[in-house]
Amino acid sequence: MRARDAGLASCHTCGLLLHLPASGHTHCPRCKSPMHLRKPDSLSTTWALLIAAMVAYLPANLYPVMTVVSLGKAQSDTILSGVIYLFVHGDWPLALIVFIASVLVPLLKMAALLYLLISVQRKSHLRNQQRTRLYRVVELVGRWSMVDIFVVALLAALVNVGALATIEPGAGAIAFSAVVILTMFAAMNFEPRLIWDYEGEKNGNAEPAG
Amino acid sequence: MATPNQPDDFETVPDAVVDAESKGFPVVWLLPLVALLIGGWLFYKTESEKGPEITVTFNTAEGVEEGKTYVKFRNVNVGVVHTVDFTEDLKAVELAITMDAGSKEYLTENSRFWVVKPRVGAGGVTGLGTLFSGAYIAFEPHSKGKKRRAYVGLETPPIVTIDKQGTRFRLRADALGSVSIGAPVYFRQFDIGEITDYKLADDYSYVDIGVFITAPYDKYVHKGTYFWNVGGVSLSMGASGAKLEMESMIALLSGGVAFETLPEHLESPVAEEDTVFELFENRTKALARPITETATFVLRFEGSVRGLSVGAPVEYRGIRIGTVKAIELGADPQNKGIVGPVVLIDLEPQRTESYEDIDEAASSQKSISRFEKDPVGRVGFLVERGLRARLQTGSLLTGQLFVEVALFPDAEPAVMLTGGRYPEIPTLPNSLEGIIASVNRILDRVEKADLQGTLTNLNALMVSTSRLASTLEKDMPKLSAELLVTLKTAHGALANLEATTSADGEIGSELQAALKEISAAARSLRVMAEYLERHPEALIKGKGAP
Repeated sequence: MRARDAGLASCHTCGLLLHLPASGHTHCPRCKSPMHLRKPDSLSTTWALLIAAMVAYLPANLYPVMTVVSLGKAQSDTILSGVIYLFVHGDWPLALIVFIASVLVPLLKMAALLYLLISVQRKSHLRNQQRTRLYRVVELVGRWSMVDIFVVALLAALVNVGALATIEPGAGAIAFSAVVILTMFAAMNFEPRLIWDYEGEKNGNAEPAG
Repeated sequence: MATPNQPDDFETVPDAVVDAESKGFPVVWLLPLVALLIGGWLFYKTESEKGPEITVTFNTAEGVEEGKTYVKFRNVNVGVVHTVDFTEDLKAVELAITMDAGSKEYLTENSRFWVVKPRVGAGGVTGLGTLFSGAYIAFEPHSKGKKRRAYVGLETPPIVTIDKQGTRFRLRADALGSVSIGAPVYFRQFDIGEITDYKLADDYSYVDIGVFITAPYDKYVHKGTYFWNVGGVSLSMGASGAKLEMESMIALLSGGVAFETLPEHLESPVAEEDTVFELFENRTKALARPITETATFVLRFEGSVRGLSVGAPVEYRGIRIGTVKAIELGADPQNKGIVGPVVLIDLEPQRTESYEDIDEAASSQKSISRFEKDPVGRVGFLVERGLRARLQTGSLLTGQLFVEVALFPDAEPAVMLTGGRYPEIPTLPNSLEGIIASVNRILDRVEKADLQGTLTNLNALMVSTSRLASTLEKDMPKLSAELLVTLKTAHGALANLEATTSADGEIGSELQAALKEISAAARSLRVMAEYLERHPEALIKGKGAP
């Protein structure tokens, strides 16, 4: 049995147990915090954020993340050209790290969210546990994807030697940080409980989920 | 908290407060919209900033690097080479260049590209800055003309770029001379322009040379301006002696062109762009009045014409009136079958235009045509009055000859022959030839004279003279004795005369007394004359009492 089946929920803030209607916005009478059985509009919000992230992913990879102006020569690099540069110059472990952190991880994160959203929407009940684990991984990894942005921000602030060398963040950096932030919010807005909500529908039995 | 065993407990659980339904557009859906908008805007911005893609073909890609070689205009980056590739036939290198968006308007068929790298030429060293920064591709924008995306780059930098103000002109020359591209153009020995290009005319009949004169000097080029070649050293030997012309050391190395406008042409309008001028060999030729009208005459000389060259002057009393046109071998009309030198001369009536005014009145009265109107008629008229041509030595040093035309009233009468190709002016022998001829004539006469008879006469004369001398010798002692006696007698007579005329002598004292008398008479006469002058009445009244 789920708390939802009993129409019960405890306040997220003060822990007061309350009767809740099946849908609609409610709040706790004691601490006035908003309350709901499931995150309201979780799916559509996650969809919106995910689509925004996917849109931002294109400029993030097509536009240079930073422009290095050294001795009057300006060189702009996108994430991929940076990876290729590192790889060509023999720094393939570093290239691998950058590639995984900056290209693969956001891509996989978006793919995972997409899979979760579609599977939930199709009321799938297959591999619920793996899907839940996937969700946890996505949420965990999210905050570590900003490494590139930190690097660019630090370099831009540190390397500013006038005519000798300057590093400027490019349009790609902004798009990339947008991708990271949007996927983080998308993961946050996703309601993992929805993965399990349809389990009972097939079985007809309301069994408590661990 | 809740357990299935205590279902009743849930009855006491309070209800959550239901909020008012806020059904509206979910704000979160604005995010993908915003992302799309920003992405779209970014895409549009970079695409619009990207500028056109062009290709420029060069023979080699020396100094050009992908992504690092920039296209510059006035040292401002306006594009970058992103790919270097070969053309399909491998004959050239094709550079793919991304230009700045702003250059779109200036990529026309008149725009030019060339690689700037260090170059050493006769005119100096250029492109030194690229030693450190690397070669770059210079771009010369041009807004007029059809739009273009594929160019053939110039292998050498153009001499004249768009930022230079000035005017282009074309020069026509018979031969290129020492003109080279980039060679200077001088005006009063100021370096004010450059040779931009040269090529053979389509029909190979002349050389077409392009010059560029920088502002503000281009306005000194008038329609009547003369250009001449100043390249190298010009050494000319002529009847007027040796002449050495040289403009400057740079012109000596790379050649050059100079121009000048004669004062009388300063009024002519300033020449427009692409005006065609003739390029003369040297300054003398350029500044000589252009001779357009000539009248050709034939001269037949008896002697040698060695030392006379085509182009030698024809002078009349030291004033140039024409030029030797040709020296040929022709038949001598007087002696059939014998050939002799025939000299064709061009008389140039324009040279004498200003002098002819003087006797215009006389000419019109005598109904004689003026020289520049009818040179043949005028020369014919003058030949009847003794006009003759002869060869003269212009310079003893070089032995160059020139043709002198002068009036010889004493010359044998002749008329101008007009039957042949050209009218013929009778000639006189060369002055040196004349001297030789007269010396010869004298020697001939001497040779022909009766030397033997003269000598016989002379001998007879000598014989009688010697006879006379011997007679004189015989009578000499007698003659001298007589002479001595005569001298003595004369001496005695002279002594006598001296004695009688001395003051103590008879005649002397008398003469002295007479002279005193005369002196006293003269004094009283003077006194009387003075008195009469003061008292003229004394003539009538007589001398009154004092």
